[in-house]
Amino acid sequence: MIRILIVDDEKPICDLIDLNLSAAGYYCVAVQDGIKAIEAIEKDNFDLVLLDIMLPGVDGYDVMEYIRPLKIPVIFISAKHEVRDRVKGLKLGADDYLVKPFEVVELVARVEAVLRRYNKAEKQVTIGDVVVDVEARRVTKAGRSVVLTNKEFELLLLFVENKNVALFRETLYEKVWEGEYFADSRTLDLHVQRLRKKLGLEQNLVAVYKVGYRLEV
Amino acid sequence: MKFSIKLVLWTMIIMALTLGLSGFYFVNYVFETSLEREINQAMDENSILRFAFETAALNVPLKYGVLQDGTVEQIASNLETGGQDVRRMLRLSDEEKNALYISDGFDADNELLEQTKENQRAYRVIRSGEHFYVQTASNVNALDRVLYLETLKDVSEVFYERAMGYSVYRRMTILMLIFGVIIMNFIAAWLTKPIRLLTKATKEMAAGDYSYRANKVSNDELGQLTLDFNSMAEALEENIDKLEDEIQAREDFVGAFAHELKTPLTSIIGYADMLRSRKLDEEKSFLSANYIYTEGKRLEAMSLRLLDIIVTKRGEAKFQKVSTESLFEYIRSMFIPNEAMEFVYTYDKAFVRADSDLIITVLINLLDNACKASEPGSVIEVKGNQEESGYRFTVRDYGIGIPIEEQDKITQAFYMVDKSRSRSRNGAGLGLALCAEILSRHHSRLEIDSAPGEGSSIGFVLRKEGKEEENEKINH
Repeated sequence: MIRILIVDDEKPICDLIDLNLSAAGYYCVAVQDGIKAIEAIEKDNFDLVLLDIMLPGVDGYDVMEYIRPLKIPVIFISAKHEVRDRVKGLKLGADDYLVKPFEVVELVARVEAVLRRYNKAEKQVTIGDVVVDVEARRVTKAGRSVVLTNKEFELLLLFVENKNVALFRETLYEKVWEGEYFADSRTLDLHVQRLRKKLGLEQNLVAVYKVGYRLEV
Repeated sequence: MKFSIKLVLWTMIIMALTLGLSGFYFVNYVFETSLEREINQAMDENSILRFAFETAALNVPLKYGVLQDGTVEQIASNLETGGQDVRRMLRLSDEEKNALYISDGFDADNELLEQTKENQRAYRVIRSGEHFYVQTASNVNALDRVLYLETLKDVSEVFYERAMGYSVYRRMTILMLIFGVIIMNFIAAWLTKPIRLLTKATKEMAAGDYSYRANKVSNDELGQLTLDFNSMAEALEENIDKLEDEIQAREDFVGAFAHELKTPLTSIIGYADMLRSRKLDEEKSFLSANYIYTEGKRLEAMSLRLLDIIVTKRGEAKFQKVSTESLFEYIRSMFIPNEAMEFVYTYDKAFVRADSDLIITVLINLLDNACKASEPGSVIEVKGNQEESGYRFTVRDYGIGIPIEEQDKITQAFYMVDKSRSRSRNGAGLGLALCAEILSRHHSRLEIDSAPGEGSSIGFVLRKEGKEEENEKINH
């Protein structure tokens, strides 16, 4: 199981990340200051560290300096949104930089992306007889290759990353089409319909009334 | 045109005029005197010649007692020969002004002769080719005849000297002017140095270097100007620094505010999103809802505090006579429910002029902070003392204390000495900022005396009722 260390001085935020990542199938440990973070890294092996910058005691940058030689991937999570803060974080060797307040969907996607980069995430996800090869961007159903458009694949990936989570229409639009959500647009429904048809997911990819869609496994 | 060039140019014009005029006057004066001397000499010679002629005429053996033209010619020739060495020429004419004898080279018209009356002497200066002459004319009474004697004296030397004088003076003037230009250039450069330095300073300042100062190089008006300029720059720099500090403080505030806003927002958005998109078990649902509630409360507290600060900044404080006893008793009653701490109240009874609601807010904040900084069960002293300067309120705790380098920052909005600790006790980091604002309305400020690990003593002084009334009237 993939182990993630969460470092944030706010207990509510630690719990939030913990709950969501645990639901996504990760093992999480949360600590609330820099010293405890370093102690935890000393003691255990982690596959990923989610690191806040403004911490009591030793701040996130210092913790980063400590982690860097260990080659553990790090995602900074901070309320500091200015470009220079992000650049500083990334220059220190972080793999990503997430600005508070963040959406849970985004957090999960970034975590997956970083883990994939380090070959730590599952490269293949299976839903029934559908196998999604995330790395190769290839999908097979019962061993037979299925051709998906780019947007269809992105959409499928989002569902796969958030199994059993109701994804709101606006979230889906934002993540896949990266644009404004128009209430009367049928684009999303058409794509979902095509996904269901191509992959035979009629039973799994369900519409949630007034919300959006959910992938049930 | 550049000031230094103007200076050089005007000096040169004045120098040229002075030198030229004085030279002209001097040369002319010398010339006039020399010429006058020559004329006098010529006149004297004329007299001598006349006398010599008359003497000679007396000594000539006479025929019929009449002076013959030939004899006249003879005498004149003799006189001429006697004056050869002095380059003198003469002409003798008879009563009808017809020439009887003319020396070689005597080259003059009859104009002077025509003007000469009997028993008169006359002279004029004439020019003939390259030469200048003084021509004199007079009567000669020899026996029965009245003859006219004219002399011509070469005075070219005098004119030549005048021309020489002019030329020497011209050359000298030009030489002096050239030297003058060179020297004046240096002088002008030296005189205008303060101006150039000032110009450089203004340019540097215009380019944004407000710390640049002009060098003072003279003790005259320009030196004074430099001093004044520098003091102006000083004032300007101070103002700009102050403005920059204010901007920095505002930016810091906005940054801190954004940060403080984002933290609870992250939780609220995150948990609400979880609640709406996931089927959660009862325990997790409660946890999420509770976090949304508490973080929402935190936002509320923060916004109320901010509002307090804004209202205090804008609002009108109601100053009245307040008994310190009532203040302390009010605080005591407020903190009775807090049994974790041991509060010790000692105060002098007096009256201060203050807005009691605002001062109570300050005291509550200070006590709250003291509680947050202390371990449960420790002592917190609340004191009120009469002093020379006024009435001093002090809140003393024996908690974690404030590091010295952070003491001047703690009144900044959102500043917390120990973030996680204060936040876990529901602090927003705005309390002392509010206190500072309230106290500045009372013309007072927080005085902090603290050492890490030994606790803090935070106090302020209010002016006593009575003698301050006049001040308040002036200020409001």
